[in-house]
Amino acid sequence: MKFSDIDVAVIGSGPAGMAAAIKAKEEGAEHVLILERQEQLGGLLHQCVHNGFGLFYFGQDLTGPEYAHRFVEKVRDLGIETLLETMVTKVSGDRKITAVNSHEGTIHLQPKSIVLAMGCRERSRGQLSIPGTRPAGIFTAGTAQRLVNVEGFIPGEKVVILGSGDIGMIMARRLSLEGVEVKAVIEILPYVGGLIRNEVQCLHDFDIPLLLEHTVTQIHGEQRVDAVTIAKVDKDKRPVDGTEQNIECDTLLLSVGLIPENELSRMAGVALDPLVGGPVVDERRETNIPGIFAGGNVVHVHDLVDDVSWEAEIAGAWAARLAQKGDHEKKGKIALRAGRNIRSIVPQTISGQNDVTFYIRVKEMEEKVQLRVGDIYHRAFRVVKPSEMIKVNLLQKDLKKLKEKITELNVECERGE
Amino acid sequence: MAEEKIICIGCPLGCETTLKIDDQGEVVKITGYKCKEGRQYVLEEYRSPVRVLTATVLTQNSVRPLFPVRTNKPLLKTHLKEAAKVLIGVKVKPPIRVGQIILPNLINTGIDVIATDDLLN
Amino acid sequence: MAQIETEVLIIGGGVLGAVVARELSRYKVDVILAEKEADFGWGSTKTNMCIVCQGADTLEFRPEYHRSKLIWDSMPLMEPLCQELDVPFKRVGELALIRNNEELGKFRKMKSKAEKLGINSHQFIDQDSLRQMEPNITREAIAALYDPNIAIVDPVRLTIALIENAGQNGVKVMRETEVVDISRKLNQFEVETNRGSIQCRFIVNAAGTSVEKIAQLVNSNDFVLYPIRGYVGILDKNLGDLIKHEIHMRPDAPGQMNILTPSVHGNLFFGTTMQPSQRGDYSTTRRIAEIGLQNVRKIIPDLSEKEIIHSFAGFLMFRNWEVGWHESVVQASRRIPGFISICIGYPGVSAAPATGREVSELLRREGLRLEANPGFSPSRKAPPVFNQLSDEQQKELIAQDSRYGHVVCRCETVTEGEIVEAVRRGATTLDGVKFRTRAGMGRCQGGFCTPRVTKILGRELGLPEEKVTKKGRKSRVLLYKTKELLGGK
Repeated sequence: MKFSDIDVAVIGSGPAGMAAAIKAKEEGAEHVLILERQEQLGGLLHQCVHNGFGLFYFGQDLTGPEYAHRFVEKVRDLGIETLLETMVTKVSGDRKITAVNSHEGTIHLQPKSIVLAMGCRERSRGQLSIPGTRPAGIFTAGTAQRLVNVEGFIPGEKVVILGSGDIGMIMARRLSLEGVEVKAVIEILPYVGGLIRNEVQCLHDFDIPLLLEHTVTQIHGEQRVDAVTIAKVDKDKRPVDGTEQNIECDTLLLSVGLIPENELSRMAGVALDPLVGGPVVDERRETNIPGIFAGGNVVHVHDLVDDVSWEAEIAGAWAARLAQKGDHEKKGKIALRAGRNIRSIVPQTISGQNDVTFYIRVKEMEEKVQLRVGDIYHRAFRVVKPSEMIKVNLLQKDLKKLKEKITELNVECERGE
Repeated sequence: MAEEKIICIGCPLGCETTLKIDDQGEVVKITGYKCKEGRQYVLEEYRSPVRVLTATVLTQNSVRPLFPVRTNKPLLKTHLKEAAKVLIGVKVKPPIRVGQIILPNLINTGIDVIATDDLLN
Repeated sequence: MAQIETEVLIIGGGVLGAVVARELSRYKVDVILAEKEADFGWGSTKTNMCIVCQGADTLEFRPEYHRSKLIWDSMPLMEPLCQELDVPFKRVGELALIRNNEELGKFRKMKSKAEKLGINSHQFIDQDSLRQMEPNITREAIAALYDPNIAIVDPVRLTIALIENAGQNGVKVMRETEVVDISRKLNQFEVETNRGSIQCRFIVNAAGTSVEKIAQLVNSNDFVLYPIRGYVGILDKNLGDLIKHEIHMRPDAPGQMNILTPSVHGNLFFGTTMQPSQRGDYSTTRRIAEIGLQNVRKIIPDLSEKEIIHSFAGFLMFRNWEVGWHESVVQASRRIPGFISICIGYPGVSAAPATGREVSELLRREGLRLEANPGFSPSRKAPPVFNQLSDEQQKELIAQDSRYGHVVCRCETVTEGEIVEAVRRGATTLDGVKFRTRAGMGRCQGGFCTPRVTKILGRELGLPEEKVTKKGRKSRVLLYKTKELLGGK
């Protein structure tokens, strides 16, 4: 394989990476290369054997492998180059990529543009500082998912799940169907962390108790987990004395949040937004480093795979344009400002020259609100929730209404319908 | 008149709907839904709740120990566990193409279990 | 069960047992080292701040302690030892922060006390120089006492290297071998273990937090130890550049220490709160984690708890006021000939090199003949660490063995080749692989690599994956095969 004339290199081949690569190719980039660390394209989709993928993107209810399959076929049909079992170890600010694999050894690339599509990873026990012993039997829900669905192993037969993220709830159902006793799902917040359909289909359907406003306060067991202590929490999420109870179990799964995976971005000097954990991008999903784009969960954790692919397509399209034209689009100049009850907004800056897809997360659940973007857009919501991302599409013609020389655009939730 | 609350799971919005039910068990009124499909879903969820079953089956002569499958149509919620048990006995061998029927007529429902991936080796 | 004979049995494969084994391997002596865990250095050696100090660095410094001498004598030995054994050693220097004149006075006294003993490495640093040396630390520090000698190491790697080198020179090593009883017959000890009995003439009891328990087996309990549990947190590598030196500060409350230090692998370690605790209880509690965080924020005021990737508890063994709380145990039994107990309390790693020498001298006095081992080689070669090699070296390594091109742990860039090599050198568990290669020690804490390492371990050890353990014994990682719980096969 020739590595010297790559137009667009895409790091990662999950629902973001493949979508970005396909779009880049369709937009005319000649040499598009996907770098993937696993032995096949698709990233985490392979372990997501459940359905719920592609309802919007394909208008069909697909499983993870089916969703991946459609992209894989397209990658193949379009002649996109791929390097599998290849780990990118370095990305530099001048768009040099260092990667390693068993066949070629150390590989150096200098693509014209790069799309970061590394996805996200799960928060671990260490980051939660859950007190207790250090036995075997503590897994993140995603690790358990890989074990159960791909590797062919069940971590244990009595399981407690901490956190009601989507992967945790989906694993509660998967494990129940595999004959495991899922003792409870413990959620520190007063509401479920994941999507409602997962609460219904994964917990209610299988009579799995969901304990809101509870947390695990202690892990027990020397060799293998033998129990956990849970307790109610107060408004400040602190355990309430006297509410502790022990649950006997051999396994604790953690589904307590996802973090965009940005080790390589940091190496390249890409500026990160601490609120979402991913790169600060403009509407084209270009980072502060010219020629380095990012899309999907590496930018911010989406609720739906469909949005992961769509966002990555934006990055892929602009990466292709940059690779072909060589010249550089005018950078985003207008900064988005998070106003009342807004936690985060992606993209963080816009130029005002192109159509924009905004992804917005609110801070708190609120009923009957108007979401406003400056004075050019508003929409009424019966309810907004932190667990459900709001998507706003603004066209170039809407943005034309913006005053000239504006440097900030406020996004807020206004009370009332 | 009785009331039943059903959360619509047709899409991620998760609309909370309320069904008014008369003494004969017939649905008289539905509120809280946002789309036609949602209304239909809620009605069906009340009458006969169904789910697509997704699972894995064991393989033979393959580099992969497990292979992902699903039902081609939703089946009754009450049948999920029984159906999952039936899949224990199924073993697949390559080559298999995505969409291929793995097990026809699952527990006499007329619903087939199909492959959700290719299994080439 | 097997009956084995040897001259010297070392009980405990922590850094002290290991350093004694390696020291004795200089001589023509039959030595067995028995470790109860599945790998070496899993007690206090593992739960450690990884600092090599010289004993004159805290206000508790007591020149009259034998411990202080061991630490002081070890300092010049540590760097050459690490070089011989090809393990990381980094002289980072230490800054003891001073916040007011009262503290300044106390540090002055301590400095002159140390100087009287010939420890002249300390110097006072004014506020401006301190800012230049460490721009990110608290503004409350008006000065610091600087000791450029202080270094950092990886105690577990040091321990494994010592044992590998001892093994090359003839020491026999037994793992998952727990001493359950010792009886004395004539001039021999008969040591019962879970793997059969071992007959020996001399015992070096380096059993860490169990050192008293072992001594009691021969009624040689002429010392008392109080276990104090400390807490250590690990910060993400992203913060690796936040500080350059080991930094500490006088605690505001007794039983605590405010300390933040770089580690040889790029993470920062902070600690430690200290609480009397049940021996062997390595569990952490919410309370000590919170105090630990409060303490480190006295050094780095705006540190985010999100940067904590892991935390653990470890033990410091204290003695009593009669001999001095901070005194160590390095002594032959008063009643039982040939029985030597060692326990430094803390800092065991810092004191290890001189302790090794002293123990061989104690053994000689107890009657062990020490004749030079002509085949002794002091060098041991570390396994390749892929992410520390140049591109050229990486290429060469992959050309020799393609498994070095397969990255298994993404956070720490650990390759399959390194894991296979770790297994070849003795790793049998996930934790063993973790401490030898760092696979699973990064920010995702094994989320990505656990299934992969389990698979490699099973393959290399010839075990079904369900038999692979986290840390030996009953710590199996995967309990069933998919479908097994439903009655499938």
